Amino acid sequence: MTALLPATAVDAPTGTRRPSDALAGLSTMVRLIVRRNRVRLAVWVVVLVGMFSFIASYYHTLFPTQQSLDEFAAVSNTPGIKAMTGLSAAADTLGGAVWTKGWMTIAVSLAIGAAFLVTRTGRADEEEGRTELLRSRMLGLHAYATASWLVNGLLCVVVGAGIALASASNNLDPQGTGIAGSLIFGASIAGVGLVGLGVGAVAGQVASTSRGANALASAVIIGFYVLRMVGDLGNGALSWASPIGWGQQMQPYGGNRWWPLALLLALAAVLLALATLIESRRDHGSGLLAERPGPADAQSRMASPLGLGLRLQRGPIIGWAIAIVLTSLLFGSIVDAMNTFLTDAGGAMANMLRGIGVNALLALLAGMIGLIAGVFATQSAVSLRTDEASEIVEIQLAGALSRTRWALERLLIPAVGSAALLLLGGGGFGAVYGSTIGDSSQAVTMAGAALAYWPAVMILVGIAVALFGWLPSVAIPVTWGVMASMWFAMMLGEVFGLPTWLLDALPFSAVPYMPLEAMSWTPLVIMTTVAALLIWSGLDRFARRDVRPG
Amino acid sequence: MAVEIEGLTKNFGSVRALRGLDLSVPTGQVTGFLGPNGSGKTTTIRVLLGLLRSDGGRVSLLGGDPWADAVALHRRIAYVPGDVTLWPNLTGGEAIDILVRLSGSLDPKRKALMLDRFELNPTTKARAYSKGNRQKVALVAALASDAELLLLDEPTSGLDPLMEAAFTESIREVKAAGKSVLLSSHIFAEVERLADRVTIIRDGVTVESGTIAELRHLTRTQVTTLIDSGAAGLASLPGVHDFVTVDGRATFAVDDAAMPAVLAAVAALNPRSLVANPPSLEALFLRHYGNELAALAGGDRK
Repeated sequence: MTALLPATAVDAPTGTRRPSDALAGLSTMVRLIVRRNRVRLAVWVVVLVGMFSFIASYYHTLFPTQQSLDEFAAVSNTPGIKAMTGLSAAADTLGGAVWTKGWMTIAVSLAIGAAFLVTRTGRADEEEGRTELLRSRMLGLHAYATASWLVNGLLCVVVGAGIALASASNNLDPQGTGIAGSLIFGASIAGVGLVGLGVGAVAGQVASTSRGANALASAVIIGFYVLRMVGDLGNGALSWASPIGWGQQMQPYGGNRWWPLALLLALAAVLLALATLIESRRDHGSGLLAERPGPADAQSRMASPLGLGLRLQRGPIIGWAIAIVLTSLLFGSIVDAMNTFLTDAGGAMANMLRGIGVNALLALLAGMIGLIAGVFATQSAVSLRTDEASEIVEIQLAGALSRTRWALERLLIPAVGSAALLLLGGGGFGAVYGSTIGDSSQAVTMAGAALAYWPAVMILVGIAVALFGWLPSVAIPVTWGVMASMWFAMMLGEVFGLPTWLLDALPFSAVPYMPLEAMSWTPLVIMTTVAALLIWSGLDRFARRDVRPG
Repeated sequence: MAVEIEGLTKNFGSVRALRGLDLSVPTGQVTGFLGPNGSGKTTTIRVLLGLLRSDGGRVSLLGGDPWADAVALHRRIAYVPGDVTLWPNLTGGEAIDILVRLSGSLDPKRKALMLDRFELNPTTKARAYSKGNRQKVALVAALASDAELLLLDEPTSGLDPLMEAAFTESIREVKAAGKSVLLSSHIFAEVERLADRVTIIRDGVTVESGTIAELRHLTRTQVTTLIDSGAAGLASLPGVHDFVTVDGRATFAVDDAAMPAVLAAVAALNPRSLVANPPSLEALFLRHYGNELAALAGGDRK
């Protein structure tokens, strides 16, 4: 028998699929996603609703009178607050004070969280081949994605509802408005979260790796944040270009507007429809951004752990460099405009900026550049564990390479890279700001102010390495958890009643607050020593323990 | 026919993965699917699963269109990939249930039987499984479901020999129940043991297809004989190739058609011993891996 039939091209035979098939297996997938993510989902709800409840109850005791609220509203009316969190439309109410403190953090966290959760069951499973196994069964094309959207959409709604409930039970609404403000607050959080979910859904269709999908979704959401930041500092027009701005414009406790919610829901729906469309058009396993062939031979420098690490982290390194340059240019160009407001604010700046005047603002923004460098360095440092967990490191260690040498070479990337990012960000920031006021020495001043954050950044690296050595199985989530806790402690520490000495001892708080404060070597030397000890401890442990794939 | 593919083409950008592939899997038979790495076996199976949209050619899976009728057809098929990834925080038993329930109801007795046969602990979290054990999860899920057609893509990679025996037993049961199997594999012994028919592909086209017996006719039988008076005269007979003599033992290959005449000539020389081996599947396969048919396959290429 011959099967060598003529290989003439027959027209592509594939018909269209029955729409009713697309969601077959949906309920099984919903159960799978809940089963797999039940802890994560619960943690998100508890952390976000809990954070809101803490702020609400704390502000109850902090601002017992209308006079204290009026004072706080005056204190809050600064460019710094407008830039970072936005200012409540009802700043002189208890609810408004809580909104200013917590809304932006909760909304952006939920948006990014929803996007990452969508990637986890979407692109990540497709990349790993798990979706292929599922799709070989009676599973509709869109069932797995839709199940993920349902579960994570429900997460957004539950977080919003929990916050509305917490707000109402804390009596945050101004008298005579019922619980409208509470409901609007919750709805605005849920709405921004759903847009984040939509962004994650589209990113998972466009990128062909989960890492790429998460990076794309984060970049878009951070872009939304920056758009509204510039808008809030200016005439507000750009804020309307950002879904986060729409959420702000719902103005809980103040304007109490429902209609921007329609914009948020419409955008989320459009994004999900777009993701569905792309999914029905593309081949399984591929993204819109196709993989291209690369070189057949490796350059000789890639044979070292450092060279290989640099090559593998090339994308993130370039991405973070671009991000820090854009941020520093943006910061540099707005400082002078903000300075005119600063003089009006007078002594009321003490809370947010830890001081007054343009130097306080410069110091705040230098700190934000330090924070960006910190996220980069942490991401690079946890890749030690990522590579161990995925067994990539085993084939390297099977060669003539000691564990310590491998790890040390890899740690050069966060160590040197973060210093370079700090210099780049601080220098760019200072250069742009200097050009607006005709003072070219600002570039060097601000580069120094930013570089002072290097020991603090290295403490984050040290924590990552120590956890990698001692607690490998949970190192990655705990590292990010520690990083997030530090951030929350800095933003909300006084709300949770943390002692001042502890807050001052946090790495990012202990850095001399230049140019407002003078340079001080003592904390920097102490932090560098602590970072070195943490790194040494982690690497020493790694050299002695089993190599454990995850 | 459980599967009928004619002239299937599939391109990934400028890469032509399938260039007019033909494949048929008769109902109730096991069809072996052989080809070098990267020749298009997995791509073909993904087209059959409706995961990839074909660019040309005709594909019929259990009488339906694998793309348009994917969901309905998947009730009747089961799939085992060569590289199984599972959800790290779910147990193997949970993964099996999820996969089987997607395609219908789960028969707990059948699941227990297969778990027992493959000696798989279903309470272990997937992150703790070795490659072989992850493979077993997919095998148990496929064999525990009531599928008419099994699509197996190197299903025994990572299994130990005992488990391969369990696999052989299972596939024989499947076949005895009248079900069809497409078995992509690099293990010739496994394919020879199980397959009724074989299709060999190379560079995205089919280069050989038929029953194993039919394919054997395409190549030569290996003959070794010990003749006291010397065997040199055999070398010049028509149909005899690659004649060598080592320690008085003559070894040569014989064309199928020339076999009766050559054996008669050997008998006339009073041989002390005679061994004739039919071509192994491996020999068949290597022939197609080699350059001989590369040229043939290359002829289709533009």
